[in-house]
Amino acid sequence: MPSSAASGLFTMPSQLETAMTEVIEQIGRSGLHAVRSFQDNLAFAVKILTRMFDVRAYNSAVRMVLINQIYFTSVQILPLVLVVAIGFGAIVIGIIGQYLIQLGLFDYFGQLLQGFVVTEIAPFITVLLIALRSSSAVNAEIAVMKVNKELNTLHVFRIDVINYLFLPRIISGILSIVLLSWLFSIIVLISGLIFSALLFNMRMNDYVTLLLASANFSDTIVMLIKCATMGFFIIMIPIRYGMRATDELTSIPVSVLHGMVNVFIAIMVIEVVSLIVTSLIAKLI
Amino acid sequence: MAQEKHRLGLVSLEAPLISNLSVLSNIALIKQYHGRLPVREAEDIAEMLLKKLQLEGISGKRNPVLEEEQRFCVMVLRAVMVENANLIIDRPFKIMPDLDDTRFIRDVLASVDELFRECHIFDYLWNEKRYTGGMIDGA
Repeated sequence: MPSSAASGLFTMPSQLETAMTEVIEQIGRSGLHAVRSFQDNLAFAVKILTRMFDVRAYNSAVRMVLINQIYFTSVQILPLVLVVAIGFGAIVIGIIGQYLIQLGLFDYFGQLLQGFVVTEIAPFITVLLIALRSSSAVNAEIAVMKVNKELNTLHVFRIDVINYLFLPRIISGILSIVLLSWLFSIIVLISGLIFSALLFNMRMNDYVTLLLASANFSDTIVMLIKCATMGFFIIMIPIRYGMRATDELTSIPVSVLHGMVNVFIAIMVIEVVSLIVTSLIAKLI
Repeated sequence: MAQEKHRLGLVSLEAPLISNLSVLSNIALIKQYHGRLPVREAEDIAEMLLKKLQLEGISGKRNPVLEEEQRFCVMVLRAVMVENANLIIDRPFKIMPDLDDTRFIRDVLASVDELFRECHIFDYLWNEKRYTGGMIDGA
């Protein structure tokens, strides 16, 4: 309130006050926009989840798209996942092992492999690989379909876009992240076996015993849920942003840009939430 | 009215072919989705219709590489896959600008006339001369 209000007189706000008001309004607008966007995404996620468990949503057309999507998302990326996992396993296990030996903490080698590499790094790298490859592709594909009026075609012929276009892509995203994370972990552990034998003269029996001793069931469940959640959101968000494209071709790169930025924000949020959940579970146990 | 909407088989550039599906899949999609037919069965029907129009050679092609007449035929075949279709052809000369008259359109429709109930063609009045002896529903 202006200081002159006490005397009953209102003066024109100073330039500083106007600028401050504008800044506060801008923050408010951005906040409201973020909250609305979050609400919309959540409502859309609930809608997709409801359809996912509706048997009527699946027919031969949807199944065909699902199979194609699984091939594009999970199978075509296999060579890249294999190469990254082998390279990562060799480098990380070599470095971690060396440091643990130097610090005299080699007994924790198994725990580090299970807790850090398998439950944290493997899903994270898999999600990054799939987000870079498939999320951007899905975002661009939906935006192009919108610009080309192909979504209008589906509407005219009463083909539900959620059932036909979105569900198969999201299901394939979930399956891909879960399965490829497992594969990534297994390859890292196998390359760990080979490299720990070569670098630290560790016997296979000792390695397996170390891993089994540090295996944790609750961590595995949290990892599974985290992978499924990430798979869901890294495909759902690009779909949402693809749908926001207008009739102009120039809106395609803009929608991909916004979609991918939000995908990376979602990955970070899910990572943080999963860390909190894991630590809460650890405290409870 | 709602029932009529279910029978709508639109042939228009406003409802283009899906570009990441082949011609065969574009036609079969309607029967797969609404008729809940297996892929093979729906594609057999689509293949048979393409043969009727002597277009079996384009079954594996996608929308961007089709010629204008081929694109029109595929759109008609997709539209007649709707059960008891009411065919609406929206500005056919916009789909095939090089056509002089409606003979090609009539021939295509005659080849599949058992598959639709009605057919309405909507076009601009200035195209009236191209519809020699035909009816024009609107402008």
